[in-house]
Amino acid sequence: MKKKVLSVLLVAAMTATMFAGCGNETTEAPADTQAASTEETVDYGSGSITIWAAENVQELTQQLADQFIADNGLDYTVTVEAVGEGDAAGNMITDVEGGADIFGFAQDQISRLVSAGALQQLTGTGYDEWIAEQNDAGAAGAATVGGVTYAFPMTSDNGYFLYYDSSVVTDPTSLEKIAEDCAAAGKNFYFEINSGWYQTAFFFATGCELTYDTDADANFTACNINYASDAGVVALKEIIELQSSPAFQNGSSVDNGTNIGAIVDGTWDSGAAQAALGDNYACAKLPSFVGSDGNTYQLSGFGGFKLLGVKPQTEAGKLQVCLMLAQYLTNTESQLARYNAVGWGPSNVAAQGDASVQSDAALAALAEQLVYTIPQGNYPGDYWTLATSLGDDVISGNLSSSTSDEDLMAALQTFQDTCISYAQ
Amino acid sequence: MAKQKEKKLHKQHNALSNGIAYVVLILISIVWLAPFVMIVLQSFRSYNEGGGGMVEYLLPKTFSLDSYKWLFSSESQFFKWYGNTFIIAFFITLGQTAMVLMVSYALSRMRFKGRELWMRVCLILGMFPGFLTMICLYFLLKNFGLTQAGAIPGLILIGVASSGMGYYVCKGFFDTIPKSLDEAARIDGASRARIFFTLTIPLSKPIIIYTALTAFMAPWCDYIFASYVAFGYSDSYNVAVALFRWVKTNDYQGYFTRFCAGGVLIAVPITILFMCLQKYYVEGVTGGAVKG
Amino acid sequence: MKKIADFFKGIGNDLKEIGVTFKEGDWKTRISFLIMGFGPLLRKYFVRGIAFLAIEVLYIYYMVVSGSKFLAKFNTLGTEGTHMDPKTFLTVYGDNSFLILLYGLMAILITLLFIVVWRMNIRENRKEELAAKEGKAVPTVKQDLYSLLDEKFHATLLTLPTTGIATFMILPIIFMICVAFTNYDYNHQAPAKLFTWVGLENFKNLFSFGSAGFGGTFFRVLGWTLVWAFFATFLNYFLGMGVAILINKKGVKFKKLWRTILVMSIAIPQFVSLLYVSKLFANDGLINSYLMKWGWIDSAIPFWTDPMLARVTIIIINCWIGIPYLMLISTGILMNIPEDLYESARIDGANAWQMFRKITLPYMLFVTGPYLLTQFTGNLNNFNVIFLLSGGGPQSMSLSGSAGSTDLLITWLYKMTVNDTNYSMAAVIGIMVFVVTAVISLIVYGMLPSVKDEEGFQ
Repeated sequence: MKKKVLSVLLVAAMTATMFAGCGNETTEAPADTQAASTEETVDYGSGSITIWAAENVQELTQQLADQFIADNGLDYTVTVEAVGEGDAAGNMITDVEGGADIFGFAQDQISRLVSAGALQQLTGTGYDEWIAEQNDAGAAGAATVGGVTYAFPMTSDNGYFLYYDSSVVTDPTSLEKIAEDCAAAGKNFYFEINSGWYQTAFFFATGCELTYDTDADANFTACNINYASDAGVVALKEIIELQSSPAFQNGSSVDNGTNIGAIVDGTWDSGAAQAALGDNYACAKLPSFVGSDGNTYQLSGFGGFKLLGVKPQTEAGKLQVCLMLAQYLTNTESQLARYNAVGWGPSNVAAQGDASVQSDAALAALAEQLVYTIPQGNYPGDYWTLATSLGDDVISGNLSSSTSDEDLMAALQTFQDTCISYAQ
Repeated sequence: MAKQKEKKLHKQHNALSNGIAYVVLILISIVWLAPFVMIVLQSFRSYNEGGGGMVEYLLPKTFSLDSYKWLFSSESQFFKWYGNTFIIAFFITLGQTAMVLMVSYALSRMRFKGRELWMRVCLILGMFPGFLTMICLYFLLKNFGLTQAGAIPGLILIGVASSGMGYYVCKGFFDTIPKSLDEAARIDGASRARIFFTLTIPLSKPIIIYTALTAFMAPWCDYIFASYVAFGYSDSYNVAVALFRWVKTNDYQGYFTRFCAGGVLIAVPITILFMCLQKYYVEGVTGGAVKG
Repeated sequence: MKKIADFFKGIGNDLKEIGVTFKEGDWKTRISFLIMGFGPLLRKYFVRGIAFLAIEVLYIYYMVVSGSKFLAKFNTLGTEGTHMDPKTFLTVYGDNSFLILLYGLMAILITLLFIVVWRMNIRENRKEELAAKEGKAVPTVKQDLYSLLDEKFHATLLTLPTTGIATFMILPIIFMICVAFTNYDYNHQAPAKLFTWVGLENFKNLFSFGSAGFGGTFFRVLGWTLVWAFFATFLNYFLGMGVAILINKKGVKFKKLWRTILVMSIAIPQFVSLLYVSKLFANDGLINSYLMKWGWIDSAIPFWTDPMLARVTIIIINCWIGIPYLMLISTGILMNIPEDLYESARIDGANAWQMFRKITLPYMLFVTGPYLLTQFTGNLNNFNVIFLLSGGGPQSMSLSGSAGSTDLLITWLYKMTVNDTNYSMAAVIGIMVFVVTAVISLIVYGMLPSVKDEEGFQ
């Protein structure tokens, strides 16, 4: 039995490497099928596979998965449950064994998931090479923790940019002007400054740095941060200035927003933004701002990714099927299908080159912004709550325009020290 | 003469103070009703207006049944969840009422070794934040196969299992039933069990209804533990889990009016039921407060 | 103290009785010490004998198949970690500290229960022997069963509730207490990683006041928790009483209508109404939008984002929830105040305020004292209101462990488990919640007038 299992794995690994070498010329699924059908000893067993996918792609994922099972003549039933990315990660961390076999999640959760033992290691299976080959470098990097690949990139659109009402905002390239225009029109300008994700737009813009080094077990080994610097103070002051605008609202969800003049948000909200802004719907890269030191800075931020993970398995057959299925769900065709259905921007290089993707307004804005962003690495869960505390301090007025530079520096020093304390 | 004048003054004074009372009461009524009126109004907002999200005005520009239609459509599992919640609430009501009656009778009517201890342990247990035990309960239920697909019986089990601890109100009521009734029946040769079933229970209609009503209402609000137990298995959700998700997670766009419509659909039957049984509820709450 | 002494005396007596049973017992009884039900079986009390024997067999079976496995690892909570086979990429699950702790505790509880049954078995033997000596008959099974419906009816009634409470209340609570003494956190999550006992480490952390310690934050959160519970209890109490007096005022019509309007808010699930109200008061919510549209304010009122205002807003909105209950309760009690008390006060020339202060309030406080106490302790743990309205925010860097200005201990510990997977710290805070609740209850209970003076108003 053991021998057989081993041979199955070798075959699977070989097929995976084989078409990794083929590049974009052949489509993946048929290649798999052929390999599987020509090899007599392959026994994938039978069973059931659960997938957790976001609600709006649940049906599509079910179709794709059923297609995959039928194409390969596998004896597996696949159930796709609508579990959003946040819930999926939370559930997997609570109880790995009870969780889904394949699940989608946002990249900021990858270190928590690895630490909870919820992700199958892919390095060495051959799939890691396929991932590196097929996806843009940022996405492939986002799927690794401490040099080990743990997930299949699904989208490269988990970044943010500006949606605005073109009848309100006259100059989307200037942060101050946007706030002014919105205030004049009595509209709201949404920017979620108490989120560690959106906040970095300011800090990275002025040249600050915040990254963590991790080992393969997702332990944070070092923190590279220089928020407590003049650049950090400039960024924090700009956040404070934005917050003091009468148009400012803290938020990043079109759905929860009212009277929107402009909002910094991501592609997942493009449908809602179109509905809310109607004919005046427009999007652009993030604006730039004039800092307290007189220099102009372009807002930066994170370029993020959505990933598809496979839960660690104890059966060889099922592991192979899960890996193949996860690969299938993130290949060029599936990513394009997802783009066409719900507008998720692909991470797959070939899919990114597709004409329809190229012409998408939201994705174009995102692509334009991408130049200024930093691919999101791994951050401890504590970082996000700490950043919320910093943002809340600004919103609640603990840090305001009347706060002295020394006190701002002291706040940033605390922030920096706390960030460093999360690394062991 | 003077007395008459005083009477007249008194009358005027009364009219004035009643007037103030009415103004205050009307203000109070507005404040208490406003959220419901607002939720109802939002639930009728057309989907074309604000895309089902939040808006900055109260009155919808176009009224429509979009959100309700969606809830009733096959696209949504709303009625599956509604049914789940009803089943859970129904069985919890049965189980919890039985448990509370049993415990209350034993503690109120009988004197036995360990009675004091039993009550004291309950009191102490009640001081622990039960909240913390959720993850533990989840794994216990999982052990019995009562999570995910089995979440509904699991939630019923948890809802019923430790409900005996909530005996205070009911025991207080039993304490007020004269013991002489029991004694007379015992002299006639009736067993304790017989007295319980044929004498005490029929006398306790108000408290039974009160217990059942509070038991029935709780599951409609359980959004955290129910979400743990369903563990991503959407067929086992209850309405609270689903509705909470729509507004509190970022995975759903355009669900705000649906949330309002769903909220209305939950609130209406419960409110009607509550109104019908209000008398008993008041009796129970008041009795409970007086007895402590 | 006396209780504890009594307890140990009880155990001592029990042990003595067991000894006497063994010493004076015949061989059947003595074998029953090992093989339960042996004595009754040989004395031809088959039902009882088989029942005892079956319990012993079941217990041994359980311990062999499951219990002993977990008990054996209980002191380390597992030694063999989960790992992935580098050749096959398959995961091999090792020990699961969480399950070892949980099922280990279960095995301990079941063993305790077994000891109780074993004791019953001894007593049964003794009873049978004494009965045989005196030539009396032991009650038949039928009589025993009947007594379960009569003088021992309480046993029948309480079996199920007690089992339920023991399994789903006591076991989980003991479990969580144990977790407070482990390092079950982000870096030690079962089943991927093992966690183990760390003694009082977490408690030290809670009471350490350095930059990384929880001490400062804990006392700030505790402070707000107490302030909140105080206002949530007493503001509601007096306002509710006021509304009740208003509705019951002579000459006010439609009493039932007013009452019904208020009571409606009890019927509507809180997560619907409170979530909506939370959005209503947001910076971009309806209230601020309309106030700005009408030109009453220039910038949004920061109901949820200003720490102080958020606390006030929460307390006020909580009135909206609490007043209806208090209105109902007060109405019931007010009706019971003897009218002649007021009558004689009126003759003495007392005005309305004096009558309220001298008659209504003391009566209300006397009757509802215990209720106020339970309300207060309930509010200490009022998760829903805080979680649904403000989510504990706004946060601040001056608080550690992601606590916010409106966080109660209970919402703080919830966030700790969900956001930071820090179960051990959450368990420590849970224990502190218990301590606070218990201390307050003990102190206040002794001060209650209805406890001190039972006859007071009767």
